[in-house]
Amino acid sequence: MTRSIDWRRTFGLREAGVYYALLILLVLLAAIAHSRGLPNYLSPQNLGNIVYQASLVGIMGVAMTVMLITGAFDLSVASVAALAAAVLVGLAPSIGFPLAAGAAIVTAIAVGIFNGAVVQFVGINAFIVTLGTLTAVRGLVLVLTDGRSLMVERPEVLQQMLAFESTRVPVFWAALLFAVALLALAAWKRRPLDALAGIVVAVFALLAGSDFTVAAPVVYLALFTLAVWAVLRFTVIGRRIYAVGGNAEAARLSGINVHAYKLGAFVLSSAAAGFAGVLFGCRLGAINPTALQGTELTVIAAAILGGTSLLGGAGSVLKTVVGALLLFTLTNGFNVLDLGASYQGLIEGAVVIAAAAIYTVGGDRRRARRATVDTAPAAPAVAEAG
Amino acid sequence: MVDAPLLELHGLEKVWPNGTAALRGVDLTVRAGSVHGLLGANGAGKSTLIKVLAGAIPASGGNVTWRGETVRWTNPRAARADGIATIYQHIPLVPTLSVLENMLLEQRGGWRLDRAARERAAAVAQSLGDPFDLDAIVGNLPIGTRQMVAIAQGLMSDPALLIMDEPTASLAGDEREQVYRTIRRLAGEGRAILFVSHFLDEIVALTDKVTVLRDGRAVLDAETANLDEAAIAAAIAGRSVTALERVERQAPAGDALLEVRNLASPGKLAPTSFSVAAGEIVGIAGMLGSGRSELLHAIFGADPAARGVVLLGGEEAGRDPAEAVGAGVALVPEDRAAQGFIPGMTIAENIALPHDGWLIAPRRERAAATAAIEDLAIKAPDPDALVGELSGGNAQKVVIAKWLTPRTRVLLLDEPTAGIDIGARTDILRLIRRLADQGLAVLLVSSEFEELLAVTDRILVLRDGAIVAEVDPATIDEAGLIQLASGTQSRTEIAA
Repeated sequence: MTRSIDWRRTFGLREAGVYYALLILLVLLAAIAHSRGLPNYLSPQNLGNIVYQASLVGIMGVAMTVMLITGAFDLSVASVAALAAAVLVGLAPSIGFPLAAGAAIVTAIAVGIFNGAVVQFVGINAFIVTLGTLTAVRGLVLVLTDGRSLMVERPEVLQQMLAFESTRVPVFWAALLFAVALLALAAWKRRPLDALAGIVVAVFALLAGSDFTVAAPVVYLALFTLAVWAVLRFTVIGRRIYAVGGNAEAARLSGINVHAYKLGAFVLSSAAAGFAGVLFGCRLGAINPTALQGTELTVIAAAILGGTSLLGGAGSVLKTVVGALLLFTLTNGFNVLDLGASYQGLIEGAVVIAAAAIYTVGGDRRRARRATVDTAPAAPAVAEAG
Repeated sequence: MVDAPLLELHGLEKVWPNGTAALRGVDLTVRAGSVHGLLGANGAGKSTLIKVLAGAIPASGGNVTWRGETVRWTNPRAARADGIATIYQHIPLVPTLSVLENMLLEQRGGWRLDRAARERAAAVAQSLGDPFDLDAIVGNLPIGTRQMVAIAQGLMSDPALLIMDEPTASLAGDEREQVYRTIRRLAGEGRAILFVSHFLDEIVALTDKVTVLRDGRAVLDAETANLDEAAIAAAIAGRSVTALERVERQAPAGDALLEVRNLASPGKLAPTSFSVAAGEIVGIAGMLGSGRSELLHAIFGADPAARGVVLLGGEEAGRDPAEAVGAGVALVPEDRAAQGFIPGMTIAENIALPHDGWLIAPRRERAAATAAIEDLAIKAPDPDALVGELSGGNAQKVVIAKWLTPRTRVLLLDEPTAGIDIGARTDILRLIRRLADQGLAVLLVSSEFEELLAVTDRILVLRDGAIVAEVDPATIDEAGLIQLASGTQSRTEIAA
C-alpha cells in the first residue's frame, strides 16, 4: 500500500510558500550583494550567522507553535525569557552557572503553570491572561534588577556562561549523517519529500566544508526542533495535541485529557522561553531590564509565517523555524547590505500580512468545498432536529 | 371567522439543491384570530415550511396567498413588512444588549434610542402584561423571559400572523403558562398564530385547528375540538415510507454489564437507576430537552456536576471521559461535527484517536481504517480522506468506528442517525444490532421512535430529566410511545 502524494498541494503556495519565500529572499539579497561588489552573501559563515541570530526566536517559536496548535496563545514569552535571564545573571555569581540556569528555567516554568492554570481552570481567555503576565513579569524583572543592568562579575562563572552560549560546534559530519539518515528513511518509506530534504542538507554540508562550525544555540535550536517535530509527527501525544486544537470537545469525548494537554503547552512554551532567556543571559553575561521587549511579537510572526493557524489544530514547527529564518534574513540583509534600516519594519510587516493572505486565500477552495459538503445534504434534517 | 382566510398555501413544494424534497405539496389555511397548531416528526418539513413563510428560503413550487393576494417573499424583511413575524426556536437575541435594544433591532436609521421608539416598545410590553424591564440586559434574564422578549420583538412590527417554532421546548411549567396566556391574548386581539410544538397536550389545549405534516405532506388538517391526543399521535407516526422491520433478537440472558445507580445532575437529570445487560439494546425515548443527551454524558463522565454511581461489570467506570474510555465505555455524541470528529484529520487519524500508546503506527492505523471502511461500508476513496469532507452518514460511521476496539464493552449512542439518509441509516441500525450480538451493551437515544421500536430490546421513556416508564417495544406502537414521551404536565394545568 503506497500513500499517494498530492503533488499540487504539497508544492502549492499554501504548503510550501514559506520555503519559496526564504529561497527568493536569499537569491535576491545575494544578487544585490553581488551587484554592489560586496562579499558573497550566501557564504556558509553568513548563513550560519543568520541561523544564530534567529535561534532564540526559533526556540520560542517552536514552543509557540505547539501552543497555537492546541488552540491557545502566549504573549508572555519574551517577558518570561527576560525574567529567566535576570534570575540567571542575578544568581550565577553566588550559586554557580548550572544551578542558576536551573533556577531560571524553573522560574519560567512556574509562570507557565500559572498562565495555564488560570486559562484552563478559571476559564479566562489566554490572550488576556498572557497579556497580563507579559506586563507583570516585565515589572518583576524591573523589581529584581532594580531598573539597572545586571552583570556577572566573577570571571570563572562568566567564562562558563560564555562557553555555554558561544562555543563553536563543528556540524559537518552530523549534518552529513542526518542527510544520510533522511535519504535512507526516504528510500525505505518511499517518501520523496524526505529525500528532497536529505539532498538539501547534504548539499549545504558539502558546500560549507568539513571545517564548518556553528554557534551552540544553533545546535540547541536544531535539537529542540527535531525533538518537538518527532513528537508531533510520530507519537500519539502529537496527534492528541492536534486533536485538542482541532476540536476540543470531540477530543474530550474521545477520552483525551484536554486540560493536561493545554496546560502542558503553557509549560512547554514557558520552559522554552526560560531556556532562550538563559542563552540570552549567557550571550553577554549581563541583562538590562528592557531586554527582549517586543520579541513575543516576532515569535508569533514566525509561527504565522510558517502557516500555523491561530484557530488551532494545524501548524508545523519546521515551517515556524523557516519563518523565523525568513524574518532574520530580512534583518540581516538590511544590515549587511546597508539597505536603509528605516524600511525594515515596513517590509517585515508587509511580509507577514502577505503570508497570512496567501494561507487564507490558498485555503479557500478547499474550505469552500468542505462547507458545501457539510451543510447542503444535512440542512433540512438538521434544522428539524435542532 | 366567516371572512376570507388570512393565509392560504396551495401545493407548496420545496426541493433542496441536492434533490431532497422537504415539502411535497402542502395545503394550509390560517384564519385571523385563530391558533393553528403545526405538528410533525423530525424531518417532516415543519421548519422548512416556517422558513418559506418567513421569507428566509424560496419555495420551489405551489403558491402562497396572503390576504387574498398571491405573494412571493424573497427575503425575511418583505415577509415582515407584509405582517408576518416569526419567532424561531433558538431565540435569536443579542445577549449583551438591553431588552429595549433587542426589540428595536430591526429599526432603521436615526438615533440609537429615541423617545418614540421607546414608547412603542413600552406599549408592546404593556400589551404582554409587562413581563420584563425594558432596560434589563437580555443575557441576565431567565430563559422564559427571553422567550417573552422574542415575542415582543416579533410584535414590534404589529404582525397579523405570528409564527412560533416550539416556543415552549426549553421552558419550565410556569414559564410555559406565561407563553400560553400570551398566545391566547394575541389571538383575542385578532392575530393569527401558527404554533409549532412537540407537546400534544398543549396543542390540544391551546389550538383551534391542527395540521400534521409527514414526509413533506399535510396528512391531517382538522378542528382541534374533533381530535384527541391519540388521533394526533397516530397521524404523526403514520405508516412512514422508511418503515423499519423489527427483527426479533434472542433476549440476552446475561447479568447486568452496565449499572447506573442514582445518577443525577442538578437541573438536568433526576436520580436515575437502571441497568443494561451485555448484548442488550436499551432505547431511550424522549422529546427534545427531556434530558436524553444529559443522561448519556453523565454515564460517560462528561458532566462534572453529575453525582451517582456507574458500574461496569461491578466496577466503578470512573468520573471523567478518559477513565470511562479506559473502563470500556464509548460515546457517539449527538452533534457529530461539534463533538464527534476532528474535521481536519483523516479517517485513519480520527479512528485512532482513543488509542493509547506512545508511537503512532501508521501502517496498522491505515489497515484498521481500511478494514473499517470496508466493514461499515464507508463511502470514501481511502483512509487518508479528511472526515470533514465526508457526508453526514459516512462521518457518523467513522465516529462509530473509532470505538470498535476490543476494549469497548458499553456503547452509548446519541441520535446516531440524525441528519443521515435512509441507506446509511439502515446500515447503522444493522451495525448496532450486530455489535449487540457480539456482546456489547448498547444504550440508544433516538428521536426516531420507529428506530427504537425496530432495534431495541427495552425502551426507557424519559421526560423532564426523569425516567417515567419502561416499555417492551413489542407491545407498543409509535403513537403510544409519542404519547408517553410528550405528556409534559397534566391537562388541567394548561387549561388554568
